[in-house]
Amino acid sequence: MMIVRALADGFTWRVAAAVLVLVAAAIVVPVLNLSVPAGSALHVPTYAVTLFGKYLTYALLALALDLVWGYCGILSLGHGAFFALGGYAMGMYLMRQIGSRGVYGNPILPDFMVFLNWKQLPWFWYGFDHFWVAAIMVLAVPGLLAFVFGWFAFRSRVTGVYLSIITQAMTYALLLAFFRNDMGFGGNNGLTDFKDIIGFDIQSDETRAALFAASALTLALGVVLVAFFVKSKYGKLMIAVRDAESRTRFLGWRPENVKLFAFTASAVMAGIAGALYVPQVGIINPSEFAPANSIEVVIWTAVGGRATVVGPIIGALVVNWGKSWFTGAFPEFWLFALGGLFILVTLFLPKGIVGTLVEGWTARRARRASATAEKDVEPESFGKDEELRAEAAE
Amino acid sequence: MFLLRSALLLLAVLLAPISAVHADEAATRAAVAKFGRAMSFSDVEKVVKEVAATGDPAAVRALAALADGNLYARQPDGAVFVVKEKSDGFDLFDPLTGKAEGSAGKDAMVKVKVKNSLRRLIGDAVGNLTLAARDPAVRLAAATTMLNSPDASTIEALDAAIAKETDAAVRRRMEAARASAVLVSDRSEAEKEAAIDLLGARGDRDTLSLLLSYEATAKGPLKDRAASAVSDMRDVLAWWGVAQNAWYGISLGSVLLLAAIGLAITFGVMGVINMAHGEMVMLGAYTTFVVQEIIRASFPGLFDWSLAIAVPLAFLVAGAVGLVIERGIIRFLYGRPLETLLATWGVSLILQQAVRTIFGPNNRDVGNPSWMSGEFDIGQLAITWNRLWIVLFALAVFTVLLYVFNRTSWGLHMRAVTQNRRMASSMGIRTPWVDALTFALGSGIAGIAGVALSQIDNVSPNLGQSYIVDSFMVVVFGGVGNLWGTLVGAFSLGILNKFLEPYAGAVLGKILILVLIILFIQKRPRGLFAQKGRAVEA
Amino acid sequence: MSDARPILYLDGVSVSFDGFRAIDNLSLVLEKGEMRAIIGPNGAGKTTMMDIITGKTKPDEGEVFFDGDIDLTRHDEADIAMLGIGRKFQKPTVFESHTVEDNLLLALKGKRSAVKALFDRRSPRQAERLGHILETIRLSARRHDLAAGLSHGQKQWLEIGMLLAQDPKLLLVDEPVAGMTDAETGETARLLKEIAQTHSVIVVEHDMQFVRELGVKVTCLHEGSVLSEGTLDFVSADQRVVEVYLGR
Repeated sequence: MMIVRALADGFTWRVAAAVLVLVAAAIVVPVLNLSVPAGSALHVPTYAVTLFGKYLTYALLALALDLVWGYCGILSLGHGAFFALGGYAMGMYLMRQIGSRGVYGNPILPDFMVFLNWKQLPWFWYGFDHFWVAAIMVLAVPGLLAFVFGWFAFRSRVTGVYLSIITQAMTYALLLAFFRNDMGFGGNNGLTDFKDIIGFDIQSDETRAALFAASALTLALGVVLVAFFVKSKYGKLMIAVRDAESRTRFLGWRPENVKLFAFTASAVMAGIAGALYVPQVGIINPSEFAPANSIEVVIWTAVGGRATVVGPIIGALVVNWGKSWFTGAFPEFWLFALGGLFILVTLFLPKGIVGTLVEGWTARRARRASATAEKDVEPESFGKDEELRAEAAE
Repeated sequence: MFLLRSALLLLAVLLAPISAVHADEAATRAAVAKFGRAMSFSDVEKVVKEVAATGDPAAVRALAALADGNLYARQPDGAVFVVKEKSDGFDLFDPLTGKAEGSAGKDAMVKVKVKNSLRRLIGDAVGNLTLAARDPAVRLAAATTMLNSPDASTIEALDAAIAKETDAAVRRRMEAARASAVLVSDRSEAEKEAAIDLLGARGDRDTLSLLLSYEATAKGPLKDRAASAVSDMRDVLAWWGVAQNAWYGISLGSVLLLAAIGLAITFGVMGVINMAHGEMVMLGAYTTFVVQEIIRASFPGLFDWSLAIAVPLAFLVAGAVGLVIERGIIRFLYGRPLETLLATWGVSLILQQAVRTIFGPNNRDVGNPSWMSGEFDIGQLAITWNRLWIVLFALAVFTVLLYVFNRTSWGLHMRAVTQNRRMASSMGIRTPWVDALTFALGSGIAGIAGVALSQIDNVSPNLGQSYIVDSFMVVVFGGVGNLWGTLVGAFSLGILNKFLEPYAGAVLGKILILVLIILFIQKRPRGLFAQKGRAVEA
Repeated sequence: MSDARPILYLDGVSVSFDGFRAIDNLSLVLEKGEMRAIIGPNGAGKTTMMDIITGKTKPDEGEVFFDGDIDLTRHDEADIAMLGIGRKFQKPTVFESHTVEDNLLLALKGKRSAVKALFDRRSPRQAERLGHILETIRLSARRHDLAAGLSHGQKQWLEIGMLLAQDPKLLLVDEPVAGMTDAETGETARLLKEIAQTHSVIVVEHDMQFVRELGVKVTCLHEGSVLSEGTLDFVSADQRVVEVYLGR
């Protein structure tokens, strides 16, 4: 009961709208794909379902990053690593599902192991033939890595740019590691050629629609969860740590614990996003660990608006849709566009799309309120207020 | 034994043109011409001995061809040629100079007879001739070949050559070759013991394998002596191995120093990380490429000067781009280091794509000037000239920066801003200009680093990306605000890397270093040479 | 309250940064319930002393004991805050993107578990206490405004309010009246005296008028150690204090 009330507390109308849209999409899009005939104008082709399903997992990743960067001030340049680890855990399950249908027909060993002349399954592949084991690993592996990494980093008060750099080093180290064949994750080529997932053909329209729906619902859940986090006292604490870390310490809080919780929770979210991503794109390989990928996630969040719940989702959808369009129309210029986006957003749109809109609304409402309340309150206090707020925002 | 002979023959053929011009050609030619009339094996044997007696290394080509069965006499004039078989006959070559002399039909040519016992004689003759060559390099090469494939029958020839040898290095090599020949001969134990001692004192890898194979077959006290010589050599070689690794480490460290020092300066003074730093390095490398292209096209004679021209140009190009970035972007983001990081990442993407569009995505060829090519040995240490120059260059750049930092007023301003920006500003230091020039300086240094890197790495649009993470690690490890930190950081990471590599492999070694740094930063969150005091915000 | 052990006991404390001795053999004793004013020129080590007491800086040598036998050098900032030492910074430091009320809420005495904060709901007693503190610091009307919008003086008061919310045994107050009008300064002095009735307090201040209003024992620091100690009149009459600090 308390939790329900706490959850209800967290809803602003923006969050509610986002959840509503996502739930509606989870129902409507599969219906339009599966039940509307291909000729109809309302038909959603399967490739679009998969494409937008992929975008939704990106949105979940951006939301996870927003939790640590937007609210807690930790600019992680290594969130792609958690995403990829979740993806690998799912990929390992999908790999085991292939069974004897692989090129070499080995019922236990995935093709790449047969190719490398391995005789038995490495211990860390045990259990991945069960979906529930893989599901636990999707949560546990990124969470554990984030916990250990964060425990070291936050306890020793590594902050700001230093922290960003070592998160980048972390994903870079994992990139190098996963490229190695003897790590046992398929090396360069990664894991691919999946056949089915919990008994359903991974290529079929129905499965793809279901994966889309799962992505949309998971994202909706993520939104609810983040909104709940942010609205709670813990959320206020995150912002306090972001703005004045040492002050919270002198109040008796432990900023390292605040950050560690956010970082770990965020990594788990990123892992789930990765796990939903892999069956939809059909492959996971070490390039997902590339530092450039992780930085791209940051720009999605920045474009949409950090420290807002809805912003990262909009940012991820807009930027990735733009990327798909650009790489189709002007492949040469995509990097120019992306690079320009980084510069323009940081210079001219530091609050992102949603943040800027919200600020505009609040300012307008404040003006209207001050216009109506002019008789009751001395006007100068409000004027001064605005000024100071603008100063603080600088 | 066969191996030795073929190796010597091959060597002789390769080296013959070098020495051919020196000797009395007419006498040698006359002797070689007699092969044209040698009808029986005994005739051939006589001529071989006669040719050998000329002592002219130029005859080696003919003898080598004879051993290979490629020496033919033309009918009816009996002129002797080295031939190369083709479908309808032979291509003819002069037996001394190897110059092409046209071709002939199969019918017109008669092969000069050769058999295995003759081949041995020929091999000895070739060995003697090359040992007597006028060029010490040829003699040295001959002695080296004989050292590595010992043959008891060469002892006398070596004795004779040692007696005549004037070059100390060549004589030492010949003595070693003789010792290795003695080991496989049936000479007395005392001589063999002396040979083992002589070889043991040399201490290089080839001699080690020689002694190892001898030890495997030897018996009694000789075996023990060889074994102890081997273990002594192993110890010595291990130290050389350490030295070689240290050198590789220093070399890598100097590259890291060049790549990271500009980053450390901008990070120290402005507190911002320039993610486009790697692209400044890349711009420097491409500047070198352009300079070399222009030189190749218009002033080929200046090629050896290309790097000297490229260094200031690269500094200017990268420095100017840096200045534009600072004035155009970074100054608006003052006090927001994380945003600066993102914006400069955007710059790096644009620069990469721009270079890809202009120069293409593939590696471009940047040449080494002659003074940067090749290598030399110090003991068992192989040192390439380009690596050595880069180490020296990195140290020179470091010294200059140290001077700028500690002895100029601009350096004083930079240090003041590093330590306490607000105080420096209120003391009348124009911090915006310090920022702009510092950023330009850091970028310019990166450009210079690019010139150096173009000599040892592929010049491609991704050049910068491959160094950026390592450079960050150097900065994080060394700390900011102190150039010595960067120096120590770069060299310790470089050396650590190269010492881990043999045990862990290149990739795992790198991962280990990243993990070590992440652990290190727990203990010293601000790096090795951190600033202390109240001004440092925790 | 049977024991008469001092609330704060510093003996022979020294700390140096890169060769510079910021605190040099400093000794200071504060009795329970006492309020003490600390004066001294810039660089005398006042803020560094507070850093040492609150665990931000570890002393190179010397003893720092709190409430009798708690060795503060073995604890970090968060621990020390929970032991009951609150601190107001020289530059007012409040959470600018939070409302006045939320600032106080985060400071309110209670369990400091990050995870439990997720499900933490404001109890009626806490709400009552918040209202009381807001009254005391005269910010009731602005409780829902962002702290960023407060004036400098109001931020100072909010920070004092946060100290009250923490309900510590010892309050360290660094320059509470900097940038305040005379009227505000007087109010602050009254407020601090009120607080001192139930708490031990150390106030660092340059404003001599304010120190006089407080009417408590004064310690003058110079170059990291105690130069003079006693009533304000005694200290201001001390020739050395006049030389290094008050000027003539």
